[in-house]
Amino acid sequence: MGAPLERRLQFVTGKGGVGKTTVAAALALLLARRGKRTLAVEMDAAGRLPALLGGATSRTPQEIRPGLHVLAVDGRTALEEYLGMIIPVKRLLASVFSSRVYQYFVAAAPGLKELMTVGKIWYEATREEAGRPAWDAVVVDAPATGHGLQYLRMPQAAMEAFGAGLVQREARRIVELLRDARTTAVHLVTLAEDMPVTEALEARTEITEKLELPLGYVVVNRFHDRHFAPDALARLGAAVARASGAEHALLESVAARAAEEQGWSDINAEHRARLTAAVGGVVTLPYVFAEEFDVGSVAQLSELLEGAIGGGRAAARRAR
Amino acid sequence: MTLAELVQGRRVIISAGSGGVGKTTVAASIALWGALTGRRTVVLTIDPARRLATSLGLATLGSVPHRIAPELLAGQGLAPTGALSAMMLDQKGAWDALVERHAPPDARDRILANPFYQHLSQTFAGSHEYMAIEQLCALVESGEFDLIVVDTPPTRHALDFLEAPRRIGDFLDRKIIKWFVRPYFSAGWSVVLAMNRTAGFVLKRLEQATGISALVEISDFFSSMSGLFENFQTRIARAYEVLRGPETAFVLVTSPEEQVLGDAEYLTSKMAELQMPLAGVVFNRVHPEVRIARRRGAAGDPDVAPDDTAQVEALVARAVGAGDDARALARNFADYQLLARGEWLRIDHFRRGLSRRVPVALVPNFERDVHDLRGLAAMHGALFGAAVA
Repeated sequence: MGAPLERRLQFVTGKGGVGKTTVAAALALLLARRGKRTLAVEMDAAGRLPALLGGATSRTPQEIRPGLHVLAVDGRTALEEYLGMIIPVKRLLASVFSSRVYQYFVAAAPGLKELMTVGKIWYEATREEAGRPAWDAVVVDAPATGHGLQYLRMPQAAMEAFGAGLVQREARRIVELLRDARTTAVHLVTLAEDMPVTEALEARTEITEKLELPLGYVVVNRFHDRHFAPDALARLGAAVARASGAEHALLESVAARAAEEQGWSDINAEHRARLTAAVGGVVTLPYVFAEEFDVGSVAQLSELLEGAIGGGRAAARRAR
Repeated sequence: MTLAELVQGRRVIISAGSGGVGKTTVAASIALWGALTGRRTVVLTIDPARRLATSLGLATLGSVPHRIAPELLAGQGLAPTGALSAMMLDQKGAWDALVERHAPPDARDRILANPFYQHLSQTFAGSHEYMAIEQLCALVESGEFDLIVVDTPPTRHALDFLEAPRRIGDFLDRKIIKWFVRPYFSAGWSVVLAMNRTAGFVLKRLEQATGISALVEISDFFSSMSGLFENFQTRIARAYEVLRGPETAFVLVTSPEEQVLGDAEYLTSKMAELQMPLAGVVFNRVHPEVRIARRRGAAGDPDVAPDDTAQVEALVARAVGAGDDARALARNFADYQLLARGEWLRIDHFRRGLSRRVPVALVPNFERDVHDLRGLAAMHGALFGAAVA
């Protein structure tokens, strides 16, 4: 089993609001920087992943910088593509896609769209070009609801629910790939706060025990870690009381921001300790202060990620 | 208009927005304010943080309103002249309740055990939103409350909630359901085959590809549920009546981070189109930016510029002594100023797309998580201009 970063298929999961998409973008950038032909996949065409990497949404793999492509995958398009492969007559397909019974079938068949989405990702991850894999790394930004796990659940469910047929056979192949710790890593992003940690622990149990998928890194994002000397804060407090006018207002704000940062640092430390006690090692990404979280911030985060994962190992690999 | 006037004047407040912005907390805080200002209030919350749930006495709660004990409020120094109730939306439970209420007794168990039903009730897009609206209608009709505050399920977009009834309406379109309810349908696609050879050919391939079991389940489900769908369009019409009613107001809860802050103009026009206008906006977890008016030459008031880090550091150094401590404090202040400036630019841009009549409230980022009644009350100053004593 290789290091998680060496695996070809990497899912980034986590609850909405934890910065999952920015971590996925940073990860894709890191892999591309290491010389891997990388595909960054978003499962929501309205997502921010391509923008964070400096590109635009695309339904076909689109190169946005050397070695880094982006792709948006959605279930309906994936299903149409899939049917296009099994029914090669274009005119027939067009009339079916426009029929309401078909629309209804797609909306109603349990998990079909989710299955097709994962199937399309599987297709890209295993596709070969000129006798070698088309991609060295496929990074998937999973949807925010339910940690994005409903998608990873689906191939297994389809394998059990659908009767013998093409889909069941394909579902089995997808499940085999997803469960293979040599090729797949499921990363879990969270914040070091009360509910997020509790929910991350639940998600981790589901990933490893129920879905039996290989867990990659547990990433603690937006970690506040600044502590100020108590005697300095006391002197600052005394100065606030003494000062007047603009100086008073400014010093008071300096003290308030210090208290705010220290408050969050304490919360983060407490909950990261709880998480670490339960999962072992975690990868910590510090809070990035920025006026606007843009392409530059992603590059910064990507370097922080490299350092947090183990810059030493990476440097050794580059030297070889 | 202020947010206080808005909440005072309406009976239903719907807190909408994407996930992870503190929507549940804001909804609970608005509800507490309603109770403190003398109204019989209920908050319908979805997936609340556990500690907030515990402090509201929600841990043992099902999907019925639960009055929060006055002693619990008094213990936190709060003396409401109204009453505060809370309930949690149990999404799966709400579907089951709907089936139990409306399905014929003999079909009930068959529906509840149907794999397609189980899938639909848990994952069909819009079903959670729709169930929240169902619950809201029931609360409105009960007449037990003067103020109903609804926390909506986390969606990618606030509009998803508003469109849920229509989407579920399309889904349960009777013309299409008829296809699936025909008993011979589950035996195969024979009807379609006979009607249209082209579609029949492809659907047959679909059936081979996916396995027929799914289709049998779907057909069986709709046969069992057919009685329930008879009055579904009426229910959806009723839901829109409540959502579009003059007593209902939509309040967008958002954070000033760029990820969640969409285009106000787009949102406003879309909501107007749906006849559910945006009535108020709450920016949650806002960082304050310090801006000090320069008063050159003012006696005894040295000129200080919050954005000049060297100057700030010198000032802090005079207070705490020069060195690492002063540097760290000044650097921290500068970082928060940077954050605040970005937030203010985005908030300002957003406000420009809003009508002047829409009140906007800014809730500051607190030092700690808000998770108890005292914390909810502490938000009132920012939301309503003043706390209720």
